[in-house]
Amino acid sequence: MSIRAENVCQSYGKQSVLKNLSLELEAGSFFTLLGPTGSGKTTLLRILAGIEKPAAGRIFYDGVDVTDLPVQQRKIAFVYQQFINYPSMSLFDNIASPLRVAKEKHSESEIERKVMETAELLRLTHVLHHLPEEVSGGQRQRCAIARALVKEARFIFLDEPLANLDYKLREELRTELKQIFKDRDGVVIYATPEPIDALSMATHVGFIHDGAVLQYGEVLDVYSNPSHASVASYFCHPQMNLFPCQVESRGEGCLLRASPDLTLQVDLKKDLLPADHYLLGIRPHHLFLTDPQNRMTPFKAKVELAEVVGSNTELHLRHKETKLTLLMQQVEQFPVGEEVTAYMDPDHLYIFDSKTGAFLTRTNKRVN
Amino acid sequence: MAKIELKSLEHRYASSRKEKDSFAIEDLNIVWEDGTANALLGPSGCGKTTLLNIISGLIKPTSGSVLFDGVEVNDRPTRERHIAQVFQFPVAYDTMTVFDNLAFPLRNQGKEGNEVEARVNEIMELLDLGSLTAMKASHLNPAEKQIVSLGRGIVRKDTVALLLDEPLTVIDPILKLDLRRKLKLVQQELKLTIIYVTHDQHEALTFADHVTIVRDGFIVQSATPEELFLHPRTPFVGYFIGSPGMNTLRCEKTSDGLEIPGSSLSLPSAIASRADKLKGRIDLGIRPEFVETSAEERSDWNRFTIQMVDHAGAYQVLTLQSGSLQIKARVEDHSISKEGDPMWVNFPSEKTNLYADGERVAP
Repeated sequence: MSIRAENVCQSYGKQSVLKNLSLELEAGSFFTLLGPTGSGKTTLLRILAGIEKPAAGRIFYDGVDVTDLPVQQRKIAFVYQQFINYPSMSLFDNIASPLRVAKEKHSESEIERKVMETAELLRLTHVLHHLPEEVSGGQRQRCAIARALVKEARFIFLDEPLANLDYKLREELRTELKQIFKDRDGVVIYATPEPIDALSMATHVGFIHDGAVLQYGEVLDVYSNPSHASVASYFCHPQMNLFPCQVESRGEGCLLRASPDLTLQVDLKKDLLPADHYLLGIRPHHLFLTDPQNRMTPFKAKVELAEVVGSNTELHLRHKETKLTLLMQQVEQFPVGEEVTAYMDPDHLYIFDSKTGAFLTRTNKRVN
Repeated sequence: MAKIELKSLEHRYASSRKEKDSFAIEDLNIVWEDGTANALLGPSGCGKTTLLNIISGLIKPTSGSVLFDGVEVNDRPTRERHIAQVFQFPVAYDTMTVFDNLAFPLRNQGKEGNEVEARVNEIMELLDLGSLTAMKASHLNPAEKQIVSLGRGIVRKDTVALLLDEPLTVIDPILKLDLRRKLKLVQQELKLTIIYVTHDQHEALTFADHVTIVRDGFIVQSATPEELFLHPRTPFVGYFIGSPGMNTLRCEKTSDGLEIPGSSLSLPSAIASRADKLKGRIDLGIRPEFVETSAEERSDWNRFTIQMVDHAGAYQVLTLQSGSLQIKARVEDHSISKEGDPMWVNFPSEKTNLYADGERVAP
C-alpha cells in the first residue's frame, strides 16, 4: 500500500500554496506532515485525500492515478480539527454511520460488533448511548476518530485532530493514537504544527516549508540530521537556538565567536569553514545553569521569562542582542530581569550556511 | 494595592437551591497577600469566574465575607471597590489614541494635565507602548490592544487589585511570550496584587508565585508551582500538573509490608515503613522523572518491560509494564530504549509521595 504525490501545485487566487511538491508514503508507517501555520500542509492533506483537486500534478494510490477519482470512491477516512459528528445521532449511530452508508452491506450484528470493537479502542463504550453534545470535547473527538477507524479505510488522514483539546487530553490521545495505529495496516497521514506530535507518535516526518517538502525521512533521522536551519529550528521542542557567529582559525581547530563574551573553541578544521560568518545552532537542552565537570562555555545572560511547560521550565534568556532558550527538566521560577550565568555545551553545536541555511557540519560526536 | 481575603465563602445559584450538591462554591477560605502574583487554576465550570465576580462585587455571595486589607467589603458597590479587570477580549476605545485610552480612567477621576501625562508615560514606558502613543486603538492588533487594556487597568494608583480572566486566549501564539513577560514585569515592578484566572496550567504556573487549584468549587491545593509539582496534595493535582502526570499506584498493606495488587513489585523498605503508620486507602505517587531506571539488571530493583517509547527530543517517555501494572518513566535522550526490552525500576523513597484516603501524608 502506498500513496504518491507527483509535482503537485496548488494556488488560491494569486497565492501559490504548493510548489511542485512530490512525496511518497508507504504502508505500515505513521507519517506526519509537519510545518508552521500557512506552510501548505492542510492543503496537501486535502489534495492527497481527494477533498481538493490540485491545479497541476498527479496523485497515485498503490501506483494507480486517482487524481480525478472523487473522494467518495477512494476508501479513505478524514478526521478534521473541529469535532465533526452528527448532532442528532447517538455516539453509537455516529460511529456506525460509515458502515451503514457503505456500498458493501453489513449486517446489523456485524455493525454492532465493529462499533463495539472500535468504541472499546477509543474508550467510548460507556457513553455510546449519549448524543455528541452530552459528552466532553475529548470524547467528541474520540468519536470522530472512531468513525474514521470503523470502516477500516486503507488511507487515514488526520488534520490537527488534537488542536482543540486541552493539554492533558492531547497527552492521553497522543499515546492512544500511537498504540491504535501501530497495529493497523494502512497509511496514516497526520498534519500538525506541533513538533512533539511528530517526535512522539510518528515513524516518518515530512517538513513542509513554504509549499514544498524541505526534508523527508524517518523521524529520528530528520531530528538528528536536519538538512537545513529551518528544519533544525522548527523540529525541536522547544525550538533550536540559532544565532550568527564568526569563525577564526585557532590552534588545531577553530574559534566560534558569537559575541565578544561568548566564544567557543571547537575541534573543527578551519578549511571546512572557509567563510567568516556562519549560523550556529544549539538545542535548548544543551544549555545549562551549572557545569559541574567544568567543560562548557559560560556566558552572562538576563532572564526574559521563565515559562513552566508541563514538567519543564523553558528559560528565555538574552545575551546582548541574542535571544536563547534554555530547557530545564524541572519546575523552577525566576524573576524577569534576573542575571544568570549559563553554560553552552560545545559538543552539541550545529553549523549552517548563513545565507542559504544549509547544514554544513556539527560538533556532536553522538547522534541526538 | 491590598491584601484580599475570602472567608468561609459560599455561593449557590438560585435555581439550584434544592439540590444539596448544587453549590458553585462551598466553604472557601483564601488569602492573597498584598503585592503578590496569584493564579486560580481549574477546569471550566469549577467556579473560577464566580469567584472573580464576587471579588469585584458583581455577585453577592450567599454567605461568608470578602475582605480588602482586613475590612469587609461585602456591601461595597463594585465602583467603590477599585478592582481593575482584564478579560479574554481586549477592551479599548477604538476611536481614541493609545495615550487617551490610558488617560481615560484618570481623567474620569477628575485628574488632568501633567499628573495624567506623567502617569500615562510611566505606564507606557513599562509596557513598551511608546511607539504607539498617537495611534488609534482601531489600528492595533489583538495583542497590542490587550496590552492597552492592561495599561488602563493599572494606570490608577488607587487600584486595589488586578483581576485577569483568561487574558491570553485570543492572542496569537507567537505574541503570547511577550505578553506573558510584560504581565510578569508589571507585577514585579509595580508590586500589584494580581489574580489570574485560567484553565491552562502553562499560563498559571508561568505567571504566578502562588497557584490555587480549584475543582468543583473547592480548593484542592494552594501552593507555589514547585510545591505543586513536588508535593501534590492529591493524586488529581499530581496528574493535572506536569507532563506526563504523576504515576498513582493503589497499594495494599499485608503482613509482609506494602504490596501493589496486580504486580509482584517489591517496594523499598523506607516506603513500606512510612505506609505502616497510615490508615485507610493507600496510594503511592511518583512522577515519571523521579522513577529510577536501569537497562542493566539490579538485584534490589523491579523488572519491567518497555511497552512504548515516546521521544520528546531532550528526553524519552517510556511506558513500562509489570503484570497488569503500567507506569511512565522519563529517561535522558541518549539512552537506547527499545520496545520489548527489560528495564529495572526503583522508586526512591524521598521522591515518592504517599496518600491516605486521597490526601498526601508528609513523610
